[in-house]
Amino acid sequence: MNNRDWNRRDFIVKPILWAGAAGVLSRTDLLLAETASSGALLERTLGRTGLKLPIVSMGVMNADVPGILRHAYELGIRHFDTAAVYQNGRNEEMVGSVVKEMGIRDKVVISTKIGTRASFQNTAEAKKGFIDRFDASLKRLQMDHVDILYHHGVDDADHAKSDGQIEVLASLKKQGKTRFIGISTHETIPVLNAVIPLNVFDVALVTINYTMAHDAEKLATIEKAARSGMGIVAMKTQAGGTVRPDSKLPKELPAESQTALLKWVLNHDFIATAIPGFSTYEHLEQDFSVARNLAYSEPEKKFLADKAFVAQAEFCHQCGECLADCPKHVNIPALMRSHMYAVQYRNVSMARQTVAEAGGLGACADCGECLAACRKTVQIGRKIAQLKELALV
Amino acid sequence: MTFSSRLIRTFFPIASPVLLIGLAFIGNVARAQSAASTHPQLAKLLAEPLPSHPRPEGQPAFYTPDSLYQYIDGGADVYLLYDFQSLMHQEFKSGGAELTADIYDMGKPEDAFGIYSAERSPKYNYIPVGSEGYRSKGVLNFFQDRYYVKLTGSGTGTDTLLDQLAHTMSTRIGGNRALPAVLSKLPQLGRVRHSEQYVRKDPLGHSFLAPAYVVTYASTPKESKLMISVANDATGAKSRIDQLTKHFKQTGECTPAAELGENAIRAKNSFEGSVIARTQGRYVVLLLNPSQDGAALLKSAALALH
Repeated sequence: MNNRDWNRRDFIVKPILWAGAAGVLSRTDLLLAETASSGALLERTLGRTGLKLPIVSMGVMNADVPGILRHAYELGIRHFDTAAVYQNGRNEEMVGSVVKEMGIRDKVVISTKIGTRASFQNTAEAKKGFIDRFDASLKRLQMDHVDILYHHGVDDADHAKSDGQIEVLASLKKQGKTRFIGISTHETIPVLNAVIPLNVFDVALVTINYTMAHDAEKLATIEKAARSGMGIVAMKTQAGGTVRPDSKLPKELPAESQTALLKWVLNHDFIATAIPGFSTYEHLEQDFSVARNLAYSEPEKKFLADKAFVAQAEFCHQCGECLADCPKHVNIPALMRSHMYAVQYRNVSMARQTVAEAGGLGACADCGECLAACRKTVQIGRKIAQLKELALV
Repeated sequence: MTFSSRLIRTFFPIASPVLLIGLAFIGNVARAQSAASTHPQLAKLLAEPLPSHPRPEGQPAFYTPDSLYQYIDGGADVYLLYDFQSLMHQEFKSGGAELTADIYDMGKPEDAFGIYSAERSPKYNYIPVGSEGYRSKGVLNFFQDRYYVKLTGSGTGTDTLLDQLAHTMSTRIGGNRALPAVLSKLPQLGRVRHSEQYVRKDPLGHSFLAPAYVVTYASTPKESKLMISVANDATGAKSRIDQLTKHFKQTGECTPAAELGENAIRAKNSFEGSVIARTQGRYVVLLLNPSQDGAALLKSAALALH
């Protein structure tokens, strides 16, 4: 892998005209946006690993079609991310089989992930269990080493700092079974703040997408991790995909939504690469086009400025701070979850069940305007109105 | 000292542990009842009595589509694709063994088969349990009706305990034990056992072909994949094969192949390989990487679906 650092003077400044009016794009989007002048592949360095990668990589998680991996490599993807838990190990088997068949092991960066339980960290048994599971992964991958081994799904600061776990990872790195070690998390702020001072993890795999546009603390924490030398890989970049479950909801997201969402992530220069999970050739080609051009097209700008989408994209964090506002004591977090089931997971039956468990929408019937105010970004009244339109009761 | 205070001082040391035990029992019963009331169908699958009476370690944990990722992280996405409804997770101890039972309610038998088939390999050690199941050291997974059951264990006598637990749960689940009907119609010659899959999304990398059944055939050293894409009607099937034709024309080559039957094509590109396909009523029948006998297999499968 070429270790040459990325040179920002190579790229063209392109202002984001809609940012001010929409007020939803991050401040980072107002900074330099990259456009390869000749359509060449954009690459960044993955922190202290020195690995130089195209900015779009592949999360293999949802793909079980070898042809997609082959085509991804043909297009220029060089980093493939899998995990022991995906499809019970079959995902690793597929990755290993394709890499071997194509003879490209020395040309690609392979990462896998092994999880542990927070309550079961520092015992000899736990350490041995981790090593055994990783050895099984290597066998499935048909490799004697991976490039990045993640401690998978760590969502607690103490879990992240576990001495026993860090000792095992460091040992595997020393043995050469992994070139670098990383941590993957959905609880970005506490976990990254816990591991940055340790200076142990080479890479962090974090959730970052457009729904976090207003979360300055989260973005700042990720940037801090990057500036400390950790390579940052972005996951969950597409914030749920394109499909809408019901004709009464706003229509299916437009195709440009997917490239817009991915560009929004990658327009943060502290993200080295993203691993969107595509399972069709069409999505692969669409997402990978972003690796040659980060400038927003007019339809993409329009999509990101669309207040309807912004409303839908405002995920409820289930903090419950809104509960005190409601005079009817409605279970607002449950209703927001229901909205997420209907809109994001396309599971209307689950949404209906959750509304029922929350006591229905009857208590909201008499309220002209919702008095509950989200301390973050959720438009509670609008989402409840959408639930009523879905006739989930 | 009053009589009442003497009474308390005398009997409290005796009564308090009894009271605590009683409260704990009532609490456990209440929590179990709570589990039974909120997840009655799942709860009864692990209700006492269980063979060898394993002791539950704590209360069962339940996961929803919203929270499943907390248990299996990114692995949750594929379960959501198959319309995952809920999961009951329970740990047990039995003598020197520790067991874990994960029961996934997938809502429909086809989806239970779908997620089960996504995670299994033809190479596993299959055993007669449920609709289909397999075992390896410390692991026993099976599916039956709408449920996908995953059992793990470690310690003395684990395999026997897992077998007993699996068969008990299978009896309690009852319901539909058959594999999807389409699969039973497909040719048996050269078919790789336990390779069948029900793919709800993007079969073979093409969204327009969903949902579909995929089966591996190995009549030559190189494996072929037979896919049965299920459309709503013949018009839908024609539309699907037209989209497939367009894809191959854009990425490789595609020509009509009337000798193969209704709306048939031959196609290939650099990353998928070779394909022959045709329609049969509401189905698109496709063979990826066909062998020399591929045409016969394709026609035979189509005829079986007629």
